[in-house]
Amino acid sequence: MSDPIEAFFTSLAGQAPGRLHRRTAGTIRFELTGGDAVEHWHLTIADGRIAVSRQERPADTVIRSDRDVFDRMARGEARPLTAWMRNDFTAEGRFRFVVLLARLFPPPTAAGQPGRPGDATGAAE
Amino acid sequence: MKDNLVRVLDGNVFVLSEDNGDLEATVANPCGFFDLDTRFLSRWRLTLNGEGLHPLSIAERDHLMLRFFLVPGRPTHYVDARSSVIRERTISGGAFLEQLTVLNHHHEPVDFTVRLDVASDFAPLLAVGQERVPAGRFYQQVEDGRLRLGYRRERFRRETLVSSSEPAGVDEQGLTYALRLGPKETWTTSLRVEALVLGADGRDVRDLLDRPPRRTTAQRREDLHAWLARAPTLSCDWAAATSAYRRSLVDLAALRYSPLTLPNQVIPAAGLPWAATITGRDSIVTSFEALPVAPELAAATLRMLGIDQGAVCDDFRDEEPGKILREFRYGETVAFEEHPESPYFGSADTTPLYVILLDEYERWTGDADLVREFEDEARAALRWIDEYGDLLGDGYLRYRRRNQRTGCDNQGWKDSPEAICHADGRLAAPPLATCELQGYAYDAKLRGARLAREFWHDPGYADALERQAAALRDRFNRDFWIAERGHYALALDGAGEQVDALASNMGHLLWSGIVPPPRAARVAAHLMGPELFSGWGVRTLATGQARYNPLSHHLGAVWPFDNALIAWGLRRYGFADEAGRVAEGIIDVAGFFEGRLPGSFAGYDRDLTGYPVRCPTVNSPQAMATGAPFLLLRAVLGLEPAGRHLLMAPRVPARFGRVELLDVPGRWGRIDVIGSGLAAPPGTGGER
Repeated sequence: MSDPIEAFFTSLAGQAPGRLHRRTAGTIRFELTGGDAVEHWHLTIADGRIAVSRQERPADTVIRSDRDVFDRMARGEARPLTAWMRNDFTAEGRFRFVVLLARLFPPPTAAGQPGRPGDATGAAE
Repeated sequence: MKDNLVRVLDGNVFVLSEDNGDLEATVANPCGFFDLDTRFLSRWRLTLNGEGLHPLSIAERDHLMLRFFLVPGRPTHYVDARSSVIRERTISGGAFLEQLTVLNHHHEPVDFTVRLDVASDFAPLLAVGQERVPAGRFYQQVEDGRLRLGYRRERFRRETLVSSSEPAGVDEQGLTYALRLGPKETWTTSLRVEALVLGADGRDVRDLLDRPPRRTTAQRREDLHAWLARAPTLSCDWAAATSAYRRSLVDLAALRYSPLTLPNQVIPAAGLPWAATITGRDSIVTSFEALPVAPELAAATLRMLGIDQGAVCDDFRDEEPGKILREFRYGETVAFEEHPESPYFGSADTTPLYVILLDEYERWTGDADLVREFEDEARAALRWIDEYGDLLGDGYLRYRRRNQRTGCDNQGWKDSPEAICHADGRLAAPPLATCELQGYAYDAKLRGARLAREFWHDPGYADALERQAAALRDRFNRDFWIAERGHYALALDGAGEQVDALASNMGHLLWSGIVPPPRAARVAAHLMGPELFSGWGVRTLATGQARYNPLSHHLGAVWPFDNALIAWGLRRYGFADEAGRVAEGIIDVAGFFEGRLPGSFAGYDRDLTGYPVRCPTVNSPQAMATGAPFLLLRAVLGLEPAGRHLLMAPRVPARFGRVELLDVPGRWGRIDVIGSGLAAPPGTGGER
């Protein structure tokens, strides 16, 4: 699979429940531009899992983005909320699913060490 | 910053101006029209025939509407102005509206040139007090009788659109009206200023989101009346108490804020005007204080903070999985990640406080659905305490900032850089475990255990939490207690040494219940002793400590919310008289400020000043102080929900006389609470 965006959505669909709370439920549709045609990806979130479809179905929140911006978020190079504040993508519908994007995309790559602060330097342990 | 500016506001939309209604923003004078953490007008200056205007009077009935009565020129005691101007302004439907009226008092026709200079610097709210070179580009357009001011940085765009009901000459710096008014004639125009947060397609990004239209002034006035009608009624022989209660209800109404994430609910914002935003600590503490009068605030706060709960480790935002945020902002410097409030998570207290509020909310309201709905969030919060908060693995909740550049050093409520120190003034070395954080963690575990047992059907988890809480209590009482002085250490430093300053923090321990009863009397004696108790309230830091300064926010000043939690803690341990003294002192302070408690006031001895001295502050009202009278009332009335009932055990100081709090809402429906202060025999100083 060479397309990173397709790979990202495939991994979302396969991932075990973890960062999503079990009672979080809703739908998000992504409309990605920049390729040959507008790509549609539709997520249904329920029970801590994500079902992915390519259909252009209605959703609680519609995210419109170019592929480059989306790709940066999918690689953890851009934080979704600040990207929205900069107008790097637009969101229509319920804002709470814009907040939720942070739970779908990988942590920011510039975020530093996971775990407790100081663990990496050995200062804390 | 100046704090004598006048304002109208609706949530995070507000206008802050000079007393003649003009805006002329500078770094030292941060006035303006603000929306979504951005200044949309930095100049709004009115002249009549080239002269500035002077206020004769300002009518400020409430936070909804403001009227300025003005005359041209400088004041003299003999004003014989032949003309005057009325400016009436409000925030309605999210826009800034100003009605301008010019009155000709002369018996001859007069020519007037009315000029309004208009400009915007589109400064982010977090940076209005700093010199800053904007990274973007400004533009101005005159179009069809309107003036459009804009700012663009990459795809980030903000615009201000100024329009007028009467035809105006519009140029890029403002609007001009040339009038000829007959004898005794008046002229009026309505100005409308819209703040636009534009997306790529030229529409306001907020219009794409599901949210109800912003309310008009009339709707908001109706809502204020309904809010006051819904709240319990207090009648009390002591006028200072009723006026503080009434003022707090009105201010709490003004503090209610609907975030984009929860557009149909309201949470208490931290303060007005500069902290009209989502915060962790302030929203939680205020909601806790307000449970007896407006429990719906707690539900919205728990929802909001649950949705924004930390999901990943992110040094820049001090974010960790399960952590509850400190503050959320939308301005340019946040969007471009110069500031971390998107949201910023640098608070170590908010996460246990979240669980405490969830439990207390259920006790008052019986809303078990919310407890079930937010089970994962509450579990994640409890997990955070041990997995991330226990930085040294020694069983104590500590903090050390991840964000080394713009993060907070101190992450308890005393968050100024020097707040945590030894008695001799030495600063304590991180990572710090302040004492009140251990109390919160203990309380959160016990309350979490109740929720797990009663609502989550997980008795095993409940048992584990209770075991952890008991171990924490024992460990804490071994390591934090300073036996020779009879009080708890303010903190343990990074090396595990006691930080021995005598401070108000240990008062919160009584609220948390982590203090064994034999020690509680010694703690109470310190809190009410002359070093900590000023006569008005408990100081943040005791006199006699090296860094004590009555004017220092966290090293000497008195905070009403701190005192409300302390009073409630004292009451929990049976120190009803002491709780009453604190309540009486703080309510007394409110009486000096027309019922509005300041966020903090100076720690001077009451005998020295005879008058509470307000600390310099930028926000008034401040939410946690606004909520304090409710919790103080709870303390003197001894209100405690128990099952389907509200237990009441009034121990009212004589000064209050008879106290009736009617229609207290909760799982019992509505109930009246009535208490009476004992008559004070003359010369005995009351019931004590």
